[in-house]
Amino acid sequence: MKRVVINPVTRISGFMEVSADIDNNIVSDARTEGLLFRGFEKMLEGRSPFDAVYFTQRICGICSTAHSIASTLALENALGIVVSEQGRYLRDIIHGCEFLQNHIRHFYQYTAPDFVRLPEGNTLFETDHIDFRLPKGKNDRIARHYFDSLEYSKNAHEMLAILGGKAPHNHGVFIGGITTQATTEKIARLRLLLQGIRQFICDSMLPDAYTIAEYYREYFNIGRGYGNLLTFGCFDGYEKLGTLYVSPSTYSDGNIMKLNPGEITENIHSSWYMARQETYTPFETIPEPDMKKSDAYSWVKAPRYRGLPYEVGPLARMWLCGGYRNGISAMDRTLARALEAEKIANIILTLLDNLIPGVDVQKEYEIPQSACGAGLTDTTRGALGHWCKIDKQVISLYQIITPSAWNLSTRDRDNLPGPVEKALIGTLIKNPDTPVELGRIIRSFDPCVSCATHVYSKGKLIKTMQVVP
Amino acid sequence: MNNANNCCPIFSARLETASVLVQKAADAVRQKRIRKRNLIWLELTGCSGNIISLLDGANPDFKCLATQLVNFIYDNSLMAAEGDSAMEKLFGVTGSDYILAVEGAVSIKDKGLYNIIGRWNGQPITAYEAIKRFGEQASYVIAVGTCASDGGISAARPNPAECVGIQGLLGKKVIKLPGCPCHPDWFMGVLAYLMLFGEPELDSRQRPLMFYGTLIHDICPRRPCFDQGIFASKLGEKTCMFKLGCRGPVTRVDCPIRKWNDRVNWPIGDDGPCIGCAMFGFPDKMEPFISYNLT
Repeated sequence: MKRVVINPVTRISGFMEVSADIDNNIVSDARTEGLLFRGFEKMLEGRSPFDAVYFTQRICGICSTAHSIASTLALENALGIVVSEQGRYLRDIIHGCEFLQNHIRHFYQYTAPDFVRLPEGNTLFETDHIDFRLPKGKNDRIARHYFDSLEYSKNAHEMLAILGGKAPHNHGVFIGGITTQATTEKIARLRLLLQGIRQFICDSMLPDAYTIAEYYREYFNIGRGYGNLLTFGCFDGYEKLGTLYVSPSTYSDGNIMKLNPGEITENIHSSWYMARQETYTPFETIPEPDMKKSDAYSWVKAPRYRGLPYEVGPLARMWLCGGYRNGISAMDRTLARALEAEKIANIILTLLDNLIPGVDVQKEYEIPQSACGAGLTDTTRGALGHWCKIDKQVISLYQIITPSAWNLSTRDRDNLPGPVEKALIGTLIKNPDTPVELGRIIRSFDPCVSCATHVYSKGKLIKTMQVVP
Repeated sequence: MNNANNCCPIFSARLETASVLVQKAADAVRQKRIRKRNLIWLELTGCSGNIISLLDGANPDFKCLATQLVNFIYDNSLMAAEGDSAMEKLFGVTGSDYILAVEGAVSIKDKGLYNIIGRWNGQPITAYEAIKRFGEQASYVIAVGTCASDGGISAARPNPAECVGIQGLLGKKVIKLPGCPCHPDWFMGVLAYLMLFGEPELDSRQRPLMFYGTLIHDICPRRPCFDQGIFASKLGEKTCMFKLGCRGPVTRVDCPIRKWNDRVNWPIGDDGPCIGCAMFGFPDKMEPFISYNLT
C-alpha cells in the first residue's frame, strides 16, 4: 500500500490537500481537506444586514457574484420584498456573466493543462507527468486557445461590470435586483460582447472539450461518485419567461424529485466542530470548533440531503434539466460544463431580449427589528445557500453552505465519504509515482476551497501525515 | 462607455501610465537592455480574487505579462504542476533573484496553522512561514490587494484567524497596492516600473503615488452634485452618494478615471456608493456600506 499526498492541488480556487491510499494501483481510500480558515460567519454577526451583500462576496474571488446573489435572496426573503420581473432579469444577467467567466477560465486555465502541453519557456506551464496524448496539431490548437480564451473570460467580466460596476466583487447586485438601470447603450454593448463570447464557446471551447474527451476516453468510466445529483435551481420560475434552465430538484436511484429545502442538514461527525447535535438544519446553530474531537479530519462539514451526500454543479444541472444524459464521470463533468457555457450564453441573450431600458428597480429599504430569511440558488459550482437571522436590526446568525462544501464534504455518521472522495475511491492509477488521475478527477468538480472553508474555527491544526511507501 | 474623462489631457495621460510602462519594459527585455525577472505570486489568507483580477487586465494583459515581462514561476491558481513538483518550483527560487507578489493577509494564530499553502518534505508550509521565507529573500515585495496590504476583510472583527497585512511580518519595505481587488493596471504598472527604474515614489502608507495620489471625492464626476448639495436618497440615482454612506471622501485611488474591466464602469458609476475597499481599515472602519437617511 502506498499513500500519496498532493498538496497543493493547484488550478483550483483556494488551498486543498488530497491523500489517497493506493493498493495494487487502485485507490482504496481517499480524503480531501481544505486548508484555509477565515471565519466569515462569525465576522458577519453584529453587522448591518445590507452589508452582507458586499461582505460575503469577499469569501471568494472567482465566484464572488454567487455570494452577492445568495445573500440578496436571503435578505429579500427576510425583508419580505418581492423582486420585479425586470429586477430579476438584470440580476440574472450579471449572474450569467459570472458563469461564463468561470467556465471559460476553468476549462482553459484550470483543466486544459492536465491534458495539453503548454508552450515551453515558462515555469508556470511545466508539468511533471507525461500523459499527453493529443497529436501536435490538436494540442497546439488548444494551447493557442489557452491564451485566446483570456480575451473572452475578460469580456465576460466586462459584461458583468457594465451592469455590476466592477468584477471581481461587484457593486450592482442588491435587494430589488441591481443598483443601476440598463440603458440602450449598455444593452447594445452587452449584446456585442456576448456575441463574441458565444462564438468562442461554440467554435473553440466545445470542439476542444470534445477533442480532449476523444483522447482520454477512459475518463468517461472513472470519477463517478455516488450519482446523486442536486440543484437549488437557477434562471427558473420567471413570471413571463417560465424556466429557462433548471428548477430545484434532485436525482437519485434513477428518480428525479422536486427539492424540499427542509431536508437539508449539515453533519459534523468527521469535522472539528462541536454542537448540541451532530446533525442540524441551517437555521439551528453555528457549531463551535473542537480540535480535540477524535475521528475528525477536516474543517469542511458534511452537507446532506435526506441524510445522503449529493453532487452539485454543471453536470447535476444539465442532467436534471434533461440537457445532458451521457453519463456521470470525470469527463462528463467537463463536457457538461462546456455545454452549459453555451446554454448560459443563450439564456443571457433571452434575458437581454426582454429587458426594458431605463427601469429603476431600487427603493429605500428598512431593516426590521427581527426577521430571518433563506437565499438558495444554483451558482457556477452548484447549490449555494445563505441563511440569515436578524435581531435588533443587525445580523445575529449567518449560515453559508457552499457548492464545494457539498462536493468536498467529509464522512458523516454513517461513514459515507463526500462526493469527491467517493469519486476518487476505486480509481485505477496507472503510475502511482505520478497519480495524474487524482487531480483530473478533483478538477472535474471545479472545487472552490476558498468557499468551502469560510467557516469559523479556532484551535490548532494538528496533522501528522505518514507517507507509507 | 462614458468617455467624459477623456477630454482632460491629464486624466487621459494617466490612463496610459500602465500600458506605457509595460510596453517600455517589454521593449527593454526584448532588446536585452534589462532582463526578464522571475515572478512568484503567493496566494495567502484571502479569496484569491487578485489573480482573477489580474487575468482581467486589458492593456496591458496577462499574456504580455507572462510571456514578455517575467518568468512566472509560481501561482497556486494557474500553474500546471501540482503537489511536490509545484513546491519544488517555489523552493527552487531560493538564492536567485525574484520579485514577490502577495495576495491575501497572513493568519498568524497558532503559528499560522489556519492557512496551509502546500507541503515541503512532507511538512505543511503555512502562509506565515511562506511570507517569512520568500519575503525576506525577494528583491521586491508587492502587496497585491487590501488583505495583503493591511489585513483587509480577512482581518475583519473579531478576526478569527488573527490575520495581518504582510508588512508587519517583514523587515523590508513592502509596496502596497490596496483595493478589493487590486486593479490589474496598478500591479502591472508597478511591476514594469520596478523593472525599469526601481522603486516608485510612495506615500506615507507605502502606496505608489502614480496610482494612489488622488482622493476619489476630488475627481469624482458627481462632485458637482456634492458641491451643490444634491444627494441621492436611494441607490440607482445619478447624484452624489454621500448620504448613502459613500467613502469616496476618504478613499485615495484613481477609480473615477481608470474605472474597471477595460474601463467600462466603476462602483459610483453603477449608482452605488464607494465602500472604501482600497482604504486602510476596510471593512470595519468603512461600514456600514449602505445607509439610508444619513443626514
